[in-house]
Amino acid sequence: MTVRRLAQLAALAAVLIVIVLATLVAIRLLGGRTGGAVQVVSAPADVVARGKYLAEAADCAACHSAPGGAPYAGGLAMQSGFGTIYATNVTPDPDNGIGRWSADDFWRALHDGIRRDGQQLYPAMPYTSYRGMARADADAIYAYVMQLRPMKVANLRTELDFPYNIRPGMMGWNLLFLTDTISAASTGSSAAWQRGRYLVDVLGHCGECHTPRGILGQMELSQPLAGFALGRVAAPDITSAGLASRGWTAASLRTYLSRGIASRGSAFSDMHQVIVLSTRNLTAEDSDAVVTYLLGDRPPPPAPLAAADPAILEAAANGAGRTNYVALCAGCHGLAGSGVPNTVVALRSNSTLRLADPRNLIVVMLDGIGPENFPHRASLQAMPGFADKLSDQQAAELANYLRVTWGGQKPDVTAATVRALR
Amino acid sequence: MSLPTRKLTVTINGRRRGPMDVPEGMMMIDVLHEMLDLTGSRLGCGIGICHACVVIWDRDDQTSEEVQTCITGADFFDGKRIRTIEGIAQKNDKDEIVALSPVQQAFLDNYSFQCGYCTPGFVNAATVLIERLKRAPVPRAQVEATVAAALENHICRCTGYVRYYQAVRDVILATPGLTRDDA
Repeated sequence: MTVRRLAQLAALAAVLIVIVLATLVAIRLLGGRTGGAVQVVSAPADVVARGKYLAEAADCAACHSAPGGAPYAGGLAMQSGFGTIYATNVTPDPDNGIGRWSADDFWRALHDGIRRDGQQLYPAMPYTSYRGMARADADAIYAYVMQLRPMKVANLRTELDFPYNIRPGMMGWNLLFLTDTISAASTGSSAAWQRGRYLVDVLGHCGECHTPRGILGQMELSQPLAGFALGRVAAPDITSAGLASRGWTAASLRTYLSRGIASRGSAFSDMHQVIVLSTRNLTAEDSDAVVTYLLGDRPPPPAPLAAADPAILEAAANGAGRTNYVALCAGCHGLAGSGVPNTVVALRSNSTLRLADPRNLIVVMLDGIGPENFPHRASLQAMPGFADKLSDQQAAELANYLRVTWGGQKPDVTAATVRALR
Repeated sequence: MSLPTRKLTVTINGRRRGPMDVPEGMMMIDVLHEMLDLTGSRLGCGIGICHACVVIWDRDDQTSEEVQTCITGADFFDGKRIRTIEGIAQKNDKDEIVALSPVQQAFLDNYSFQCGYCTPGFVNAATVLIERLKRAPVPRAQVEATVAAALENHICRCTGYVRYYQAVRDVILATPGLTRDDA
């Protein structure tokens, strides 16, 4: 009898929850709008200019432009563990873009992750970070994008697996994971630190790549900026301790953010885009603020390269790894790993070699890096990939040689590690 | 003080060379030029981009690929078989050239090169392509794209691409067995 009663209660509760959820969804969708007047926004030039600056700081263009496509016209495919999401057209085209969106609609998307039609956005759009944005800043970005040239570029349909393709499900996700503030990644209180926190955690949404993600794709806010492999190339640990452990200083970080090439290496993969589209445009003051926040008000001293066990160094210097280095890498990077100024990055001071996780080193060895242009007319030619010239074992030996000699890391890469990344 | 050396044995154009002592870190282009008197391969950019310096690496699985000798150390070639531009034409027992390869002839017929500096690289790339098509023909409709893909890494500063590409297309279309009619 009791069991039956419990079952009845559970069924009743389930029905009630479904009704409540359905009502919420219905209210949300009925509250949404699709038609409506085309917005005419005439903002003062200084507001538009500020909006442009903020849009660049928020790196909207990185996702809202497809390779070779018009800026802000959408189309970039973002792969996730749940399926593919396409960034949308955010030019003021009335039919394909946001031409009918009001400033309030725009704010709701940035702050709550809700589209004008009432549907939920997926957090590939980082409203999870933008939620902390000042309303005035969101309005300035709105004023800027609304005066872009409208592009008649249709949006591509998001392709997510069941049940993730049910957008209202994101209401539950937001209930669990959407927070007003992201816990600070470093310690500080100065004005520069506060500004940096806003630039890094809100506008720059750095944590969306650099913060580890949990099983439902949420940022693990207990470990802000501690590094994560969302794609093939991992976003490294950029906490103050992580940066210092790889030799980064305020000066080298500043150079990196503004130029993309610094003593600790050059930006590649997605981070190259971030430099070129976003951080290079920051004012010197804002760039300093980003660095102040990343390293904290009292930056830790950069760690010297850990002294390797002489026996391990000796073994590396005479092993197969070095033979392959001399055969395949030294032609450009030099026998001593010094690189060529303005042409080939140095390896002996390279931050990627100092990562405990060998993933990025191996991926670059296998895939190479395409040709890249950098600010101030600098450029680096393509580095070839060596996937077809190195066996798993050879690649592992080469990675270990580099890790031991210039990375202060253990020679713990195995053929299996390499095979998993092929 | 002397430079540390490493032993190199390599088969070039069918002839075994070495073992010889090569200074550690010496690039293969320098070994070819300075130690073996094979000066046909051209040093261009020195950073692996222009592909004027490529030689053909014949792998044990019967496939071949181009390798840039300006950025590839001599060590890489130890125990391997390669062909340089000097080994492309047909030779007799006395090592005298008796006939140009079809690719070389087509380059002449089309007057493909101007200054000729990048030509050895283009000849090797086209040779690798023709050999690949013998093993795996492509539909006739894809010849254009196939040639472009095979040669696109090679840089010619005299802008001779059109005639290079035309010459390679000619050879492919005129040689039975390199194309299929199915598509």
